[in-house]
Amino acid sequence: MLDRNIAAEVLARAVQTGGDFAEIFLEDRIGHNLTMRSRKLETVSTSRAHGAGIRVLDGTRAVYVYTNDTSREGLMDCAAQAAAAVQGGAGCRPVAFSHWSAARAEEVRLLPTDVKAALKAEKLRAAEAAARAVSPEIVQVNCNYVDTVQDVLIANTEGTFVTDRRVRTRLGVAAVASDGHENQTGSEGPGASMGFEIFDSRIDPEASGRRAAAMAHTMLHADACPAGVYPVVIDGGFGGVIFHEACGHSLEATSVAYGLSEFSGKLGQQIAASCVSAVDDGTIPGEWGSMHIDDEGMPMTRLQLIENGVLVNYMIDKLGSRRMNMAPTGSGRRQDYTWAPTSRMRNTYICPGTDDEAEMIATMGTGLYAKSMGGGSVNPTTGEFNFAVAEGYWVEDGRIVRPVRGASLIGKGGEVLMRIDRVGKTMTMAQGMCGSRSGSIPVNVGQPMIRVSSLTVGGK
Amino acid sequence: MNTPDTFITRLLRAAKEAGIDPAEVTYADQDSFNARAMEGSIDQYEVSATRALGIRGTVNGRMGYASTEAFDDDAIAMLVEAVKESAALAEGEDQDEIFAGEEAYPTLEAPESDIGSAGAEEKLDLLRRIEKAALSTDPRVTKSQGAYISTGRGTVRMVNSLGLNLSREAPLGGMVSCGAFVVGRDGDSVVTGAKHFAGRKVREIDPESVGADAAEDAASMLHASPVSSGVYRMIIRREAMRSLLGTFRGIFSAESAQQKMSLLAGREGEKIAADCVTLMDDPLLPGGFASMTFDAEGSATRTKAVIDGGVLTTLLHNRKTAAKQGVATTGNASGGMGGAIHVSSTNLFFRPGEKDLPELLSEMDDGLLITYFAGLHSGANPISGDFSLLSSGYLIANGHIVRPVEQITVAGNFYQLLKEIRAVGSDLEFLGGGIGSPSVDVGALSVSGAEA
Repeated sequence: MLDRNIAAEVLARAVQTGGDFAEIFLEDRIGHNLTMRSRKLETVSTSRAHGAGIRVLDGTRAVYVYTNDTSREGLMDCAAQAAAAVQGGAGCRPVAFSHWSAARAEEVRLLPTDVKAALKAEKLRAAEAAARAVSPEIVQVNCNYVDTVQDVLIANTEGTFVTDRRVRTRLGVAAVASDGHENQTGSEGPGASMGFEIFDSRIDPEASGRRAAAMAHTMLHADACPAGVYPVVIDGGFGGVIFHEACGHSLEATSVAYGLSEFSGKLGQQIAASCVSAVDDGTIPGEWGSMHIDDEGMPMTRLQLIENGVLVNYMIDKLGSRRMNMAPTGSGRRQDYTWAPTSRMRNTYICPGTDDEAEMIATMGTGLYAKSMGGGSVNPTTGEFNFAVAEGYWVEDGRIVRPVRGASLIGKGGEVLMRIDRVGKTMTMAQGMCGSRSGSIPVNVGQPMIRVSSLTVGGK
Repeated sequence: MNTPDTFITRLLRAAKEAGIDPAEVTYADQDSFNARAMEGSIDQYEVSATRALGIRGTVNGRMGYASTEAFDDDAIAMLVEAVKESAALAEGEDQDEIFAGEEAYPTLEAPESDIGSAGAEEKLDLLRRIEKAALSTDPRVTKSQGAYISTGRGTVRMVNSLGLNLSREAPLGGMVSCGAFVVGRDGDSVVTGAKHFAGRKVREIDPESVGADAAEDAASMLHASPVSSGVYRMIIRREAMRSLLGTFRGIFSAESAQQKMSLLAGREGEKIAADCVTLMDDPLLPGGFASMTFDAEGSATRTKAVIDGGVLTTLLHNRKTAAKQGVATTGNASGGMGGAIHVSSTNLFFRPGEKDLPELLSEMDDGLLITYFAGLHSGANPISGDFSLLSSGYLIANGHIVRPVEQITVAGNFYQLLKEIRAVGSDLEFLGGGIGSPSVDVGALSVSGAEA
């Protein structure tokens, strides 16, 4: 992607004014996007993203310059602009490159760029038909197929010169159920770091279509969720978004390193109930949030975040590591070359526990069973989080009595982690896009079924 | 590397030779500057120059799409092949058309701007002053989450094989935005606060007032607590109302309506909101951040009331949705950078009423003033209109603030909310985007908070 001599020349220029570290992130990404609405293939589009970002560090200060012009002249111009913003730093002597390629080509059997769009369209048709078949009240189905092949090259003044190929494929189904007066929605979005072979093993488009439509249909006939403070059981899979929001973001160096997280300075302390252990693992083969290297060229890791309730690790990028005087953890990520990297999650989940799932609901009294979650957000400084319940059921005296809609869950991360009183035995994961300081990136969330002894449930 | 002009010319020629006719290219470039101050030092500094190009074109009556950020010769071959493959598969009933252009377009005067001339040092100096002011206004607000300043300028160009050739600045006059995020602490209470500013003149920024406002925002929230669950009278302050309108603006799109994703389908001429509600879409708003004289299909834009005195007068259209409904486009086509043409509002805002916020509060007497909604991307459903959102604000008694409120959710339905609006305030604000709102008295909404 880039000649080593040019890379060395660009890096040397970038640290000429006293920067103590410089890095080139060069990217070429081909993406395909197919959308189907109203039973018709509406758009088939191909996009090619191409550009590079040059980062210069001077202690804990960062300068980032990016461009689409990846010619030698374009990169030298970026390096000069970045250098101009740094003056009188300690400087550094660039280390000679040691090359390695992180991409293991055999992992992807059917590269999406080699698969005809007509075959991709068939998957949408299958999902759409299955969703429509669920009920005549399904009035609209939007299906979406996306794949990306991202080739990156990362070179820095510490001798890193590494390339990687990230291949991802995802199907999205959104169904709308309507009785003419009201609309309700259901959605599914399975994906993985795989090529088109994902449809042989991981994704059944018809099953995804049915699940999305069934959720919309159930919610159309659901009552509004009661508001108040109740025990809440949260199912596995995308339910893991509660950990992602309530805790995960607050363990990223992005907030911890500046003393802006409610968990700053709490390593070794009990921050969750002792039944809770959690991991952020970028090494699981083929998972949506997995990579071979992070976006700073670091090897992937499996990172234990919480062990039996005790905080054992933060997620740390290079800049964060300088502020915190701790080693980086392979957590530097970015949406693309238009974003400087920062500490982010990969595949983050609560580990399997020992509790029985049926008992959890049977002994909860009156409360909410959140079977399927929507997205959420958090303020890491105060720990305040919120997330939406996409498919919920009301529980009375330990029995599921009816579906409820429009529920949201709010709370403060630190308090909620301590109130988890059951962790089930089977952990499952689901895919999401996480937006934060370095853009929108693919992540997995996951957990077994868990119970929180009390949470504020928003409803009507 | 090709210059944009040569690339566009060569691409359109190659497309025609490959049987893609007509074809249209949209080209956009953008220069941006962005810096952050953290605890007195400029810890992030970012500069960029980017460009991208999208092409759409017709093969055998079907439209294909592709886009690129690389402008080498390979890119031309890739785009042509991709458009052909895409067109061969397309099967939508109503195909997008390529438009030769209008005889005349409205004119828009560019607002005065110093974005092009303000230097980096000048911007960094403002940034340091913003953060300093933010941390020296209130003794309980001494921790920074970072202050920022950004400037951006860009152009959009459309060229097609039917003779269309248009270009404009985006946004017109460029934009500067800045602000501060701070943390307030007092005893056990930890809160965050912020203030944002957007405009076109770096030299108009008053860094001391931006910083002080951020500190006051945080300080005003110290020791906030929930209220008991129940139904409350409520005024939604302009910034929160703007975020709510932005989340639900898709319901006014004819594209959403035709796809049964909006409950406003076929309801033109009906009363859908309270008498005091007029919702404007004004692409010709002087100084508007989404002002433009032509849309993504090259149609002339025009000013219209979407809701006029509570009555839905029109949905927003592009050429395809308009043709399907037998009406004229409203000039609201969006997209075109290598994907399908969609519909989008331009400068969309509730027309301000007579009363300012203190008057609205005084008329409400007792209730809640909501100043912030969190998690709109997940807690609000633009298709059903339902929302249930983590919110914060103030408890109001006798028209005055009693105390700050946090850890509550506010739930309702946007369609219903439009009908129950009691008054629209006079304090309209856009803050650097295409969505604007004054503070709005929304009647009563359901709140979930502490155990009753």
